[in-house]
Amino acid sequence: MKINGDYHEVAIEPQRTLLEVLREDLGLTGTKFGCDTGECGACTVLMDGNPVLSCMTLAVEVQDKDILTIEGIARHAELHPLQRSFIEHGAIQCGYCTAGMILSAKALLDKLPKPTETQVKRAIEGNLCRCTGYNKIIEAIMNTDCGDK
Amino acid sequence: MSEALSYVGQRIPRKDGCEKATGKATYTVDVSLPRMLWGRILRSPYPHARILNIDTSKAQRLSGVKAVISHRDTLGIKHGFVETPRYPPDQYLLAEERVRYVGEEIAAVAASDELTAEEALSLIEVEYEELPAVFDPLEAMKLDAPEIHPTHPKVDEPLKNIAGKTSATWGDVEKGFGESFCVREDRFESQLRTHAYLEPQATVAYYDETGKLNVWTSSQGAFIKRAKLAKTLGLPFSNVRVLKSYTGGAFGGKVDLFSHEFCASLLSMKCHLPVKMVYSREEVFCAARHGQPLIVEVKTGVKKDGTLVAQQIRTINNCGAYRGSGVVVIFLSWGFAMLPYRLPNLKYDGYAVYTNNPVRCPQRGHGAPQVRFAIESQLDMIAQELHLDPIQIRLTNARQKGEALPNNDTVGSCGLIDCINEAARVTNFIQKYGKRKSGRRRKGIGIGVSSYFSGSLIYPNSSSVIVKVHDDGTVTLLTGASDIGQGAETILCQIVAEELGVPTEEISVVAADTETTPVDIGAWISGGARVSGNAAKKAAESVREQLLDVAAEELEANKGDLRIENKEIFVLGSPQRKISFSEAVALSIMKRDGNPVIGEGHFRTVKNVPYHPSLATTKGRWSDSYAFDAQVAEVEVDTETGIVTLTHAVTVHDCGFPINPLLIEGQVDGQVSMAQGQALFEEVLMENGRTLTVSFLDYKIPCALNTVKSECFEIITEEYKRGAPYTTKEVGEGLVSGILAAIANAVYDAVGVRVRKLPIHPNFILEALRKKQERCR
Repeated sequence: MKINGDYHEVAIEPQRTLLEVLREDLGLTGTKFGCDTGECGACTVLMDGNPVLSCMTLAVEVQDKDILTIEGIARHAELHPLQRSFIEHGAIQCGYCTAGMILSAKALLDKLPKPTETQVKRAIEGNLCRCTGYNKIIEAIMNTDCGDK
Repeated sequence: MSEALSYVGQRIPRKDGCEKATGKATYTVDVSLPRMLWGRILRSPYPHARILNIDTSKAQRLSGVKAVISHRDTLGIKHGFVETPRYPPDQYLLAEERVRYVGEEIAAVAASDELTAEEALSLIEVEYEELPAVFDPLEAMKLDAPEIHPTHPKVDEPLKNIAGKTSATWGDVEKGFGESFCVREDRFESQLRTHAYLEPQATVAYYDETGKLNVWTSSQGAFIKRAKLAKTLGLPFSNVRVLKSYTGGAFGGKVDLFSHEFCASLLSMKCHLPVKMVYSREEVFCAARHGQPLIVEVKTGVKKDGTLVAQQIRTINNCGAYRGSGVVVIFLSWGFAMLPYRLPNLKYDGYAVYTNNPVRCPQRGHGAPQVRFAIESQLDMIAQELHLDPIQIRLTNARQKGEALPNNDTVGSCGLIDCINEAARVTNFIQKYGKRKSGRRRKGIGIGVSSYFSGSLIYPNSSSVIVKVHDDGTVTLLTGASDIGQGAETILCQIVAEELGVPTEEISVVAADTETTPVDIGAWISGGARVSGNAAKKAAESVREQLLDVAAEELEANKGDLRIENKEIFVLGSPQRKISFSEAVALSIMKRDGNPVIGEGHFRTVKNVPYHPSLATTKGRWSDSYAFDAQVAEVEVDTETGIVTLTHAVTVHDCGFPINPLLIEGQVDGQVSMAQGQALFEEVLMENGRTLTVSFLDYKIPCALNTVKSECFEIITEEYKRGAPYTTKEVGEGLVSGILAAIANAVYDAVGVRVRKLPIHPNFILEALRKKQERCR
């Protein structure tokens, strides 16, 4: 499996989900367990640049894919612009949805650096947040400067 | 004007932002220990049944199973959200001879993996004898209802299922009604809603080789968990350590001790291995505690000019099979009823009624949303009868600074009139309100007012903070406070930063660990900013004084002439005469018997009062600071589909003064969103004690497409000064209520349909519009 640019060799049972393998075998607990049924978006990761729900994805399906998790988006010590923007705009409260939210937003901004508010809302509509009412998350995404990308 | 502040009052991003944005923050679900086992719980399939026998022997023999527990393995100690002589604890953590709701915990297992644990549950044999059950509170109040707790002392004879009753009288309501120009009686119902925290209930417990129980649990306060675990497990407090893990949302749903926390602990004590329990989402919906559905009956008498003369209120709470916080919500409902408006005569009776439903707990607002929805709706109806506008009637009755409350608290500072005026002004309320609407999509505007207490007395009754300065002049703050997303760690840092002139980035926080941090009241009694904040202020002040003392001696200056800036202490007027914090610490160690400069601060709200007020009579001090707000909702109602959309929400609130406006806006937005869900679509549906809404597909919470334009304005009534305690007010849960009521009032303004029951289903709107049309024909 290629996760965050690193290759990992794991022996796993075929029914195990990508979420379980990330969290339990690889120690990548930044990807969160929220519902295990594909409803809340907390487990969102990027597969070849597109958001997928890792709780609904079998780990064996991703063998030749490029998986990106929240742990892989900062460059060394430097935060990704989305991470900075989320912090500065107060888009994080309890933080449980944050990883999934940032990855959904990243998939959007990689394709569409200057999205409209509606495009932002559509991109994160599958990521539930109970703390923020989404206002500051939308603000953070729309004000992310990806210029250095 | 007050002195310029550098940190308090500033929009400082949250302290834990980086950890959370990078996925490094450890939540309870992320805690993993070597040789950790998975725990699962066996739950009752029946709403009411006698347990004839529990046989765990087959489960115990299953390979991979390390421990199985049922009631016999416990000390048989009951617990309760409140434990008072009138309301003694009423719930076992594992059912003894009776189960009283679907989902009640009967047994638990710990096994090497989740699937084995699940299989073990299926091997536990339980013999039941079904008993008649009752689900509706009014049915449960009938004399022939099935008795849910036959051996309990009765609260309200001859009724059998009354879990609690609150009664209070202030003035003479009958006389008041007699003197009123207009008297109205109405009934309102609020649904069963739930918190929908994203991190499920989760606990990791490890009873280690030294006999210490270490617990990580998704919670709102470590100290209350420790106290209840110690009591029910029969351990000394010092043998239970609750450690910090981040909490992925709580909103009131993670306060009390829960069975899974007890079971994970007891299982670990049995097998001396770490045990982890994480609820499935379905388990959260079916068995975890939800909020409180409330029936509110209001009779109100007013003068011709809209002045309130008398109000009589009866609330009935379907509190589930055990008290939970059901007896608290009926007390609080009295408080939220009497707070915002002047009421010369008030009579209140609240009933918490046992039913065979799952247990309930606080949810953001804890009674206020339900009560304000009822009272504010009725106030609009009264205003209409008297040809007054909604703003005018609220201004006429709004409480003002210094008024006495029925429980002998005083209002203290109060910006309610300014809140109402400002909310009306910024929304152009009067211009928009009451205009005849036509067409398919009709707009409406409504207002709601509420008030909330800011901390009260409940265990552990105190917050304490320690601040220490390091050799290099940086600072560490130790607090028992739990940051559940509200930003407790951040605001405490801001306060310490302000007192010491040390940037927030140079203050590290050690938090929420019962072993290493001092006691804290917890993130569930709306007192964090005031109680824990003042404790932090005192601790920092002590450090400041100690540093200044040493510096005054060294610089041969008067303490009063010294100033602190940028971790340096200098003499006012001759800035070259200075020493750094680092030097001051070294001097203190040398000259003060090795004292490395440690400050401590303690704070308790409602001073000189031994306990919280009486839950039965409401007598006694409740809080010494009350927040006020007025909120305006603008909605659009689609008359063809019946769908109501909240288009704009304005909150004007008196929170004393804002410690961190950025965090406050986040709290406001979140509460508006929660109210939007409660008003328009959220409802936990139950049938005969079984939960029908078991996922986020069944229970819809607002998603990004439902985002409401939310604006927030502050009315400042208090101030922060260095070197003195401050008063500030709550912002974390009081702001669900006004906007909830405002939405219902705005719906009336849009289509002339009065909402008496939440949520506002589209089919209710369509049916009401159809009936209206028929009447017109």
